[in-house]
Amino acid sequence: MDIRKILSEATSTLGVSGQEAGVAAYFAEQFRLLVDEVRVDAMYNVIAHKKGSGNGPKIMLCAHLDEIALMVMRIEDDGSVRFGSVGGVDPRILPGSRVWVHGTKGKLFGTIGALPPHLMSEEDRNNNYKMDKLHVDLGMCAGKVREQVRVGDLITFNTPFTELAGNQVAAKSLDDRACVAIMLRAAERLQRMACDAEVYFVCSAQEEVGGRGAMTAAFGVDPDLAVVLDVDFALTPGCGPDVAAPLDAMVVTHGPFVQPKLNKRLIDCAHAHHVKLSENVAGRSTGTDADEIGVNRGGVPTVLLSLPEKYMHTSVETISLDTLEEGARLLSHFVSELDAGWEDDLWI
Amino acid sequence: MDLKTLTEINAPSGHEQPIRRALLAELKEKGFNPTIDRMGNVIVVKEGTGDAPRKRVLVSAHMDEVGLIVTGHTDGGFLKVTQAGGIDPRVLISKRVLVGDDGIPGVIGAVAIHLQSAADRQRVMGYRDICVDIGATDKKEAERKAPKGTYISFDTPYVEYGEGYACGKAFDDRVGCWTILRLLQEELPVDLVAAFVSEEEVGCRGAKGAAFAQEPDIGIVLEGTTCNDLGDIPQTAQVCQTGKGVAVSFMDNASIANRSLFRKALEIGEKEGIACQVKSSVSGGNDGGVIQRAREGIPTLVLSVPCRYIHSPSTVIKLSDAESQFELTKALLKAL
Amino acid sequence: MFELLKKVLAPIGPSGLEAPVAAVIREEIEKYVDTVEVDALGNLIATKLGKAENPRKVMLSAHMDHIGYIVIGAEKEGFLRVTNVGGIGMNASLTRHVVFPNGVHGVVVAEPVSGQPQLKNLFIDIGAKDKEEALKMVSLGDVAVYANDCFRLGEHRVAAPAMDDRCACALLVKLLQTVGETQDTIIAVFSVQEEVGCRGAKVASFAKEPDVGIALDVTGWGDTPGVHYPEIKLGEGIAVKVMDRGSISNPELREALMAAGEKAGVKTQREVLPYGGTDASAMQTSRGGIPVCTVSIPCRYVHSACEVIDMRDMDAGLKLLQTYFN
Repeated sequence: MDIRKILSEATSTLGVSGQEAGVAAYFAEQFRLLVDEVRVDAMYNVIAHKKGSGNGPKIMLCAHLDEIALMVMRIEDDGSVRFGSVGGVDPRILPGSRVWVHGTKGKLFGTIGALPPHLMSEEDRNNNYKMDKLHVDLGMCAGKVREQVRVGDLITFNTPFTELAGNQVAAKSLDDRACVAIMLRAAERLQRMACDAEVYFVCSAQEEVGGRGAMTAAFGVDPDLAVVLDVDFALTPGCGPDVAAPLDAMVVTHGPFVQPKLNKRLIDCAHAHHVKLSENVAGRSTGTDADEIGVNRGGVPTVLLSLPEKYMHTSVETISLDTLEEGARLLSHFVSELDAGWEDDLWI
Repeated sequence: MDLKTLTEINAPSGHEQPIRRALLAELKEKGFNPTIDRMGNVIVVKEGTGDAPRKRVLVSAHMDEVGLIVTGHTDGGFLKVTQAGGIDPRVLISKRVLVGDDGIPGVIGAVAIHLQSAADRQRVMGYRDICVDIGATDKKEAERKAPKGTYISFDTPYVEYGEGYACGKAFDDRVGCWTILRLLQEELPVDLVAAFVSEEEVGCRGAKGAAFAQEPDIGIVLEGTTCNDLGDIPQTAQVCQTGKGVAVSFMDNASIANRSLFRKALEIGEKEGIACQVKSSVSGGNDGGVIQRAREGIPTLVLSVPCRYIHSPSTVIKLSDAESQFELTKALLKAL
Repeated sequence: MFELLKKVLAPIGPSGLEAPVAAVIREEIEKYVDTVEVDALGNLIATKLGKAENPRKVMLSAHMDHIGYIVIGAEKEGFLRVTNVGGIGMNASLTRHVVFPNGVHGVVVAEPVSGQPQLKNLFIDIGAKDKEEALKMVSLGDVAVYANDCFRLGEHRVAAPAMDDRCACALLVKLLQTVGETQDTIIAVFSVQEEVGCRGAKVASFAKEPDVGIALDVTGWGDTPGVHYPEIKLGEGIAVKVMDRGSISNPELREALMAAGEKAGVKTQREVLPYGGTDASAMQTSRGGIPVCTVSIPCRYVHSACEVIDMRDMDAGLKLLQTYFN
């Protein structure tokens, strides 16, 4: 399995929250060789099922496949395209960005205009750009634009997959497709490992708008326990150790939204296999699919395993491939070692 | 188990083990067969004495309390913390706490007022400013004694004072737990699903699972609720008053009470001479919201004991209101 | 359609107390559907069985509830203190005529304050002489809504307080009355408590397990002075939602509804609403998840006492839905 190739292809495949059919088909194909059955459900969740020995629990692993994006709100008479966001897009990253506008006749190259500083007042220069003041320039007159672009059409970043030094890669939507890649690698590893557990690899839809895909996928799968994989903030200038973790180690989270005994089991597993971990604390919600999966049906003991990522929710999200591999190694061991007694003394 | 014992157990949201253990022991001793579900809720089902088919009534109270959780350590050995459940950081300054299951004593201090500028004195102290001091001399010692994720509770013993008042922590919602323990001793016509639920303070998570799994016909939530009956608060802005009995809610931010249950509770209170009042505020939310919306919908009512200074280290209730909660719930369960 | 709309607008039905609305609707639909029931939260659920061998179950949801003012106290001079049930705006509240389900009338007034008044500054004058009399006329927890005042505005438009979402209720009633035999099973849910978080639709969709969900609701407008978003104009057709804060419509279902509009020869608009949500959000995430979309009736001044719609958009909506099901 060529992780670089998968990440490169996955991050350039369209899959905006709520409209993930493209990327869902891509990941479904990737999982097909590694598990017993794969389906894409009504929400565009990919659910890949690996059968167990019958003596283990049913575990759901979950990483989301959707990406944040922009959406056409209005076409002005000068041909410029006004937009809003799907998921949390910081308008400050947009000026000067190159984008694809996904119109009815294919995708169009566009650029998000920014007024040069020369033409701005001192006051304006000191204020951030607001989304409703920005526009996409398609280099066409309004008539031509309206022929192929409609209100509600999608706009995505046009940033090629970039390899950096030190086995780091940068791309859009590595949040959270890098964690889907962890699941793929773990599925590959599990083919060669003993595994009692019945495993559902879920690539969830609509995480960026509030865990909607994970909620319904968890209902459909009805797992006994779950591990959610998402990205977490990595240390960068301005993003210090009080909120962020080193790039080179997977992160576990403590707090009310993770099951403490299961979390301990995950940490013990990491120690046993010499996987380096850092620790994070979430006093309330984790802001990931774990929040929803944990309260599915009568409750699902859930833990969160995070891949540190620099520059989250930009078009140059950056991760370490070495950490990704370590995440897959930990995940496969954790799943492989689950047995029928996993639930004993979970709560006391 | 009495109210003092219940409130002095330290179990913030997400770390309910101590109260869960205590309740399990108590329930087993009383001859019940408690189970733990996958949200960590403690459940007892007690068959009713009425003729079948009997109504299946979920009576729930949350066993978690608001607390703090360690998020990091300073080089000097202080603990950085955040809330597990909603605590206004302004009430934390100058308080004593207990850290972790071993109950390591700690204090939350502040810069002496002498050293604060006029501007400093105006500034609200938030979680970024607050540290817990357990006397550790350096980061290493602090990390060893209170690793990341360690839970912290208020160190405030239960005291009875004044004209039938009690002061302590965690009345929200150990008072409801206490009422349920007492209800389990009663003969009731309905099938009682007694649920001591987890994680209410971080988003009503335990009750959501319990309501789904237990499929009750009716839900009754026993709570402690905000009360602001002292000071210069206009009477129309008061949520409820201590000493006026259990508060019956018509609506809060999480649920609108089932109208016939709401009316019935007030009627029974009047008929049987049980002190009760209408909670006259639409604020906060509680397990009623998730229970009402479980599965195909469940008629739900919330009955609360008024708690002054809720979510603080020193909450105050009037014990007679807890008595009313018990009496009214019992009477309502007999009349369903 | 206008007569039906007036009938459905008339009953008083704030969130949580929708039974009077359900009673009116029930009478209108009973003979056109196979079953009618009311669930534990008060949703009125009508089922019209499909003729296909294994019919698809399509849930259509229009909410019956209306925003209002709930009584939380009475001043000794007899004025009621209130707070909001659902999205009450201050500007829309001032000196409005409101009415309680028991027929008591009132006027919403704000006490003078420096700056913008807030909900806590509002009171309702019901003409009581003191607190005792006030609490005989109404009880704590009673809810008042804008008094019904339905009138035509120009040739095609109609204004009324409860247009959100009784116009969609009327549309759904009309659909049940006129659609005739369908392949799909239609589960028409006249839902409760949408304005406080789509609570009714959530439990109804859990109970009915539909395969597809379509919410019928009003949407905002972008065609009056100073208002540009959403890009929706009154009278320019029924709107099909792409996205709002609560749900992202399933693209295939969305395009199928757009295609039905085209086939029916009616005007449609594509809607991206930067705020709000509809029952579609609750249906989409029920159980294992289903494709959803919202068919929206453009409505000006939503959540005011004068919500304005265009009857041509209503007709377009009806034809679109009839075509979709035939």
